[in-house]
Amino acid sequence: MDDLEQSLNRNILITPVDYVLNWARRSSLWPVTFGLACCAIEMIATASPRYDIARFGAEVFRPSPRQADLMIVSGTVTWKMAPVVRRLYLQMAEPKWVISMGSCANIGGPFAYGYSVLPGVRLLVPVDVYVPGCPPRPESLLQGIMLLQKKIDRLSISGEREREEPSGDFSSYLPPDDPVRKELESLFPPYPPYKPSPELERSVG
Amino acid sequence: MYGLGIAKGMLMTLRHLFRRPFTIQYPEEVRHVPPRARTNLLWFDERCTGCSTCAQACPDGCILVATSPREDGSLNKDRYEIDFRLCMFCGLCVEACPYEAIQAGGPFDDAVYIFDDMYRDKHALTRMAQAYLESHDYTYPNGKKAPRPGQLVAMK
Repeated sequence: MDDLEQSLNRNILITPVDYVLNWARRSSLWPVTFGLACCAIEMIATASPRYDIARFGAEVFRPSPRQADLMIVSGTVTWKMAPVVRRLYLQMAEPKWVISMGSCANIGGPFAYGYSVLPGVRLLVPVDVYVPGCPPRPESLLQGIMLLQKKIDRLSISGEREREEPSGDFSSYLPPDDPVRKELESLFPPYPPYKPSPELERSVG
Repeated sequence: MYGLGIAKGMLMTLRHLFRRPFTIQYPEEVRHVPPRARTNLLWFDERCTGCSTCAQACPDGCILVATSPREDGSLNKDRYEIDFRLCMFCGLCVEACPYEAIQAGGPFDDAVYIFDDMYRDKHALTRMAQAYLESHDYTYPNGKKAPRPGQLVAMK
């Protein structure tokens, strides 16, 4: 009986709230101003009048991750950039979504077997939509945003969001004493304390 | 003369008011893509002989072809798979193919939720190609006529 009551409550009270919240969330997806490589040019073209990302309410590219809902990882993520990407993702406020744009962000693209490039941004952040292409045409990115909007429509404020959190295990890619690996591991739960090496601190100033 | 610049500027603004908007309403309206643009790849089973020239030309190594010989000397395509996670859409396979079995010009709606959906095997590629041919009056992206489903049976 409790289950029935719960489901009734859910149907009557939560569903309209969900509907309004999801409508608001899907029609104001603000991305982070964040471009890594040539895919960023195509992302800018998507925001230009010819394709006009504003039709989907996603035209406000926020300069601060605190004000953004969506991260479009557009381009090659090098190991040096990886902690920055992870930190930007952690700084974004919930609810947040990630689109992996282009082959480089998906799996590393032509640099998949290289020493300097992260093989797929899904090792860092939970990705909602993958857009293949090198770079994807603006139409493909718009299609990705539409898929994401469909995904947001299915969200509910009751219950957890299902998403695949990355493990934060980089032991098969980087040696144990690597400064990048130490920094990366400090950004994954249980968030071990991290002190940058003296050289790094000196270079930052 | 004082104010001429302002008048010129306002004239430009006025002209822009009556111009046609050039936004393409994407899902309803698709922009024309020139032939040989490096878009999504289509693979046509009926043209492919399984010679693996595309796989040799691919700089990423994202095409997998596995064949076995038939009685009459032709090749049976056991597997034909393209890894679109890795593919960089350079079009070298399109240039290399002597039978025009792999062509650029596919659809744009290829975004996916699941990572491994971007790895397309023979059946997924054939589905994509058939959907393309049906929507384009059985014409290949390079402008040549494709056999219709009934004719395909007669050829075999």
